[in-house]
Amino acid sequence: MTLKTMTRSLALAALLGATALTLPAMAQDPSTITGGFDVGPGGFQGNFNPLAATSGLTWLSVYYEPLVIYNAELTQLEGALASEWSMSEDQREITFTLVEETWHDGEAFTSADVKFTLELAKNAAAGSVFAARLGSITSVEAPDDRTVVVKLSNPDTGLLSTLAQVMILPEHALKDIAPEELATSTWWATTPIGTGPYKFTQYVTDQYVELAADEDYRNGRPLTDRLINRYFDNSAAAVAALRAGEIDFTYVEPDDAATLADNADYRVIEGASFVVNYVGFNHMFGLWDDVRVRKAFMHAIDRQAIIESLYGGAAEAANCGYVADQLVPADIDQYEYDPEKARALLAEAGWSEINGDKPITWLTYYNTPLAANVMAATQAMLSQVGINVVPRVVDTPTYNGIVYKEGTPDWNEFPLVYAGLQNGPNPAGINVGLNESQLPPNGANIMRVQIRMLSAAFDAALGETDPVAAEARWQDVCRVMNAELPWATMWVANRYGVASNDLVDFVWTPAPAGGPFASHPEKWSKSE
Amino acid sequence: MISFIARRLAIGALMVLALSVLVFILLRLAPGDPIDAYVNPASPLSPDAMQALRDRLGLDAPLPVQYFGWLRAAVTGDLGFSIQRVGVPVLPLVMERIGPTLLLMAAGLAIAIVVGISAGIISAVRRNSPTDIGFSVLAFVGISSPAFLTALLGLYFFSVQLRWAPSGGMLTPGAGFSLGDLLAHLVLPACLLSIGHAALIMRYMRASLLEVLNQDYVRTARAKGVREFFVIVKHAVRNALLPVITLIGSTIGIAVGGAIFIESVFNWPGMGLLLVNAVETRDYPVIMGATLVIGATVIVVNLLTDITYAAVDPRIQVA
Repeated sequence: MTLKTMTRSLALAALLGATALTLPAMAQDPSTITGGFDVGPGGFQGNFNPLAATSGLTWLSVYYEPLVIYNAELTQLEGALASEWSMSEDQREITFTLVEETWHDGEAFTSADVKFTLELAKNAAAGSVFAARLGSITSVEAPDDRTVVVKLSNPDTGLLSTLAQVMILPEHALKDIAPEELATSTWWATTPIGTGPYKFTQYVTDQYVELAADEDYRNGRPLTDRLINRYFDNSAAAVAALRAGEIDFTYVEPDDAATLADNADYRVIEGASFVVNYVGFNHMFGLWDDVRVRKAFMHAIDRQAIIESLYGGAAEAANCGYVADQLVPADIDQYEYDPEKARALLAEAGWSEINGDKPITWLTYYNTPLAANVMAATQAMLSQVGINVVPRVVDTPTYNGIVYKEGTPDWNEFPLVYAGLQNGPNPAGINVGLNESQLPPNGANIMRVQIRMLSAAFDAALGETDPVAAEARWQDVCRVMNAELPWATMWVANRYGVASNDLVDFVWTPAPAGGPFASHPEKWSKSE
Repeated sequence: MISFIARRLAIGALMVLALSVLVFILLRLAPGDPIDAYVNPASPLSPDAMQALRDRLGLDAPLPVQYFGWLRAAVTGDLGFSIQRVGVPVLPLVMERIGPTLLLMAAGLAIAIVVGISAGIISAVRRNSPTDIGFSVLAFVGISSPAFLTALLGLYFFSVQLRWAPSGGMLTPGAGFSLGDLLAHLVLPACLLSIGHAALIMRYMRASLLEVLNQDYVRTARAKGVREFFVIVKHAVRNALLPVITLIGSTIGIAVGGAIFIESVFNWPGMGLLLVNAVETRDYPVIMGATLVIGATVIVVNLLTDITYAAVDPRIQVA
């Protein structure tokens, strides 16, 4: 055999081998739905503990359930493990009636589980991210197996929204683990049990989580045998898997959504992100004390042009922390693009003496190409009126390390930020970043906003017990935000998921933190 | 030979220790910690709540206490627990990732060696022919293409467009183990990983063989009437391989770097992906454990290269 023949034979053998070997992986099982459910801002790969979950609730709610849950449109709450609930007249007692259900190991679900979970969720030692938000609960009583009474120290309009994120856990499986040990327990990733339509089968570290249909789920046996949540390092890898036909669903960036929108094999799901993007002023930095300077930002940035050209129209300009019609009064300032006015405001405020064209660091954790373009465009617009901002992009841990630094952080590190904060479906969501009562270390008001009028407006809205009056109170919050500009609010952008057209009755909503929302996974199926 | 190996191992152990100190210090100098990585800025936590989590993980102890605590446990084989993967011990986590990485690197290197040496021989034998020029152009393209670029292009064409190979992972999720499935997932990342190495090996092999082919003993062999095939394979290639073996050994360290890109793009569950994820989430124990294991591996591989070198060429003494 000559060298030439040897080389040709080797190449041919390698080609044939590779082709033959690739065939088994391409098969798709109709009784399995595979998705990238934890990709994107609503996901949280590798997080299995719902008490510690700051996001990733889209997936966790497939095998755990809360008492109440938002509908898929995120407009109102409906029952999940509670079939009904009622509020006492003084708004200090909520009574829940529970559904008949069993845990995945066959034990009965009772009010004792709800009492156990709520007490655990209130306990910061358990690593619960809900501890502060459940502070108004004074006691939880379980008069019988199907009834739970939650008593409050004061009316709390945001409580039901918070409870919609608290997944009920099995007392019988967790009561022997000390609360302090729960956060590091392997139970969550190895043998968790819930009440949802699917039960946990296995987790292959950093690769995927597999669930199997719960045969005796109260709303009927799920139509699909298995759900698999595959992990991806980034959304581009997930889109590659979607295009390769390996997964049926994933979150995508807006430019991918535009590319896939014309493809008949996929269905693009679009919805509000409920995250308001803002240029945050560090109120300890000293440059932003004059409200005219803050207003100049609003007039200097052509938000509509950015929305049209960079977001492809898939965002809505925000003139306060909200964009939902019922929360935004019609008579607030629209802050039209007007660079002349911005220059005039800066001149009135004496900007040339305050700072002039000296560079100002503009910190962000957004590291997508879209964010880079937005920041570049904004930088150019601001420079037109004499504000010289210099974007600095860091990863999330670095950002948090800077803004949350213990004691007194270095304000020079973040005189300005480009960030986002959840603003719905519960309007109380932004209280945590703007109320004086939330100044660190008590809360997450990291830009150190201390506007007395704004805090008072938040407090009034949070304490309002009448739902109709509450809307007016939230409008007051919007009005104060619009006038005082604790941040330069920019927009609320849309988010996108893409599902294979094979999926039937599949529900996904781009909810903040991934929801949860009533997605009814038991009804999901795949056409053959 | 034994004292050589013992001395090299002792130096290697000191280097690993120095590496661990360096990585520990660099990690603590980097902004942000595992709790900072845990919090989504769009749904923030209060600093009080974050501090409670930090306290429980012992992240607030003085640095020397943290380091020596880690070192004391590490020498007994206890590398602690991953912070982001709740309750998962680091040692088994790292150990279970060595296999996939070695498999990927071994497959990639094997392809690179076969392709690189074959192409190098053909190029040298047919010096200045269109085949030689073609191989040389391909080699330059291969050498100058960064791993992340070839990985992304390969993923796009072979997986997304042609659907010849899966786009990621090591096994089809939920399908159980099968050799065919494993190989199907392996073939594309291994081929892409091999490109740069194959190109480099080809260039070295070509140059080395050309040099050998001009030696007197090759001319003598030809003059004795030995067939050209045997002149090349038996006389020339064996001698020309020496610098190539050195090259292959020294590229294994570089291969780890390439493997990190390939593993990230293809979600291959190896050390590279583990390390990238751990750095992104500031998972200190995993970063320390993985660095330790990678460092030790590179040192052992370098030692094995030296030994192989000596075995192939008896003139080389190790002492």
